[in-house]
Amino acid sequence: MNTTITGRVEYLPRSRRRLLVAVALAGYPVAVAVLAGLKHTSLNPWLILALFLLVLLPAGVALAVGYRYARGRIDGRAARLDERDLALRQQAYALSHRVLAAILIAAAAITYIYLSSGNTLSFDANTVLPVTMWVIVYVPALPSLMLAWIETDQPADA
Amino acid sequence: MPDPQRQVHNRLAVLRAERGLSRRQLAEKLGINYQTIGYIERGDYNPSLELALTIAELFRLPVEAIFSLKPMTPLSEEIFREPPAQTR
Repeated sequence: MNTTITGRVEYLPRSRRRLLVAVALAGYPVAVAVLAGLKHTSLNPWLILALFLLVLLPAGVALAVGYRYARGRIDGRAARLDERDLALRQQAYALSHRVLAAILIAAAAITYIYLSSGNTLSFDANTVLPVTMWVIVYVPALPSLMLAWIETDQPADA
Repeated sequence: MPDPQRQVHNRLAVLRAERGLSRRQLAEKLGINYQTIGYIERGDYNPSLELALTIAELFRLPVEAIFSLKPMTPLSEEIFREPPAQTR
């Protein structure tokens, strides 16, 4: 069963993998935005939580698939990495560095625009927690996601 | 400066089939992952010089008979090609 799932994930076409990576990356910020938007409404808190989890679930699944796809090639858990795996790992790390830099620049720019428009930002647990969670979950997973993004389709067995 | 993205053409699939080797068997002999063989055959991955030389050694062929920067012509065509007319 486990081998079957791994086998299926291994042969996922690149277009589908890229969709999963996009869902994994966008899911969490969207879920947090939904939560922040609905928190101050009169909606039932349980309904808000359900909506939050509903948006978060596909992102979690996509993250797990992306991590599974890397098959230990990023963290070196794979039994044997050959020269192509090592080259791919390097490319994945380089791309995740670029993506992370782009995200940080965008976040800094948005924060600056927000603050320079006369708004204030309070650093309390409610503000810091989503960012901390993002860092804890996404920074280690980013190279695996980028590997799933860049690797071309697996050749059929012969 | 050579273009790192330039495709290196190869006859690996033909040679492998000729010797009745599966990708897994060839990969085992070379000490690499079997998917890498598929990627090389498809032209999606250019092997290192070391791997190319190891492959050539395994097939007991010169490396230029397996890998080329120009598209490969069929082996039969190369074997039976008329030699150029000798001029004196």
